[in-house]
Amino acid sequence: MSRTSSTSSGLGRALVAVYGVFALAATARSLVQLGTKADEAPLAYALSAVAALVYVAATLGLAEVGPLPRRLAWAAVGFELVGVLTVGTLTVLDPELFPDATVWSAYGAGYGWLPLVLPFAGIAWLWHTRAVTHP
Amino acid sequence: MDGPLPLVVLVASLLFAAVVLVYVVLDRTPDWGLLGFAAVVEAATLVLLVVAVVQVGGVDLSGGGVVTLFGYLLAGLVLLPIGFLWSLAERSRGATAVLMVAGLAQAFVVLRVMAVWP
Repeated sequence: MSRTSSTSSGLGRALVAVYGVFALAATARSLVQLGTKADEAPLAYALSAVAALVYVAATLGLAEVGPLPRRLAWAAVGFELVGVLTVGTLTVLDPELFPDATVWSAYGAGYGWLPLVLPFAGIAWLWHTRAVTHP
Repeated sequence: MDGPLPLVVLVASLLFAAVVLVYVVLDRTPDWGLLGFAAVVEAATLVLLVVAVVQVGGVDLSGGGVVTLFGYLLAGLVLLPIGFLWSLAERSRGATAVLMVAGLAQAFVVLRVMAVWP
């Protein structure tokens, strides 16, 4: 018998809340940036928008909204990890690359390193609640 | 924003998060006292929004600054209610901890409002 645990239950509930706050913050920030000064730093603001979508997807996936939520959560959290590591490394090596800060700049140092910690927490939680086969 | 109101809301939000932490540690489920505390923080945030609306005309804020300011204030209004809805649907330590996340996010929002206000 194969059984998966809910990703939105117990500790997962708090994790969804943290992801939800990031989804709200990143989406709002991105809308303000694109709405008021899109031409100032197009690459940074496009990246902000992508990050916002990733956080929204991770929140919905972990909260078990929609079809195939676990697959959505894995994809979003995986993308998030690659994103924060890539953008973090690029911004540390070449600070001029993005004229305005994004949530993933310098590995999320501007947000208390939470953007770096979150994908690991998400992956750990998805792994912890994965399907376990009971003989 | 003149007066101690933003600071009061900030401290109240942090205090709320701290009280929730005690609930989580003791594995207590949220009760009416906690809900009442959140309601006070919520009402104070609403007053903060009204004060901002009244005083914003008299301060030097660029267009982006005004949008940012009210974005944060509106976020401050929805954080605790959404947090409670998400938290109360389940009885567990993790679900109670959701309120701590909401309280800390509320404090961060107020901090940002204080920073944006010239």
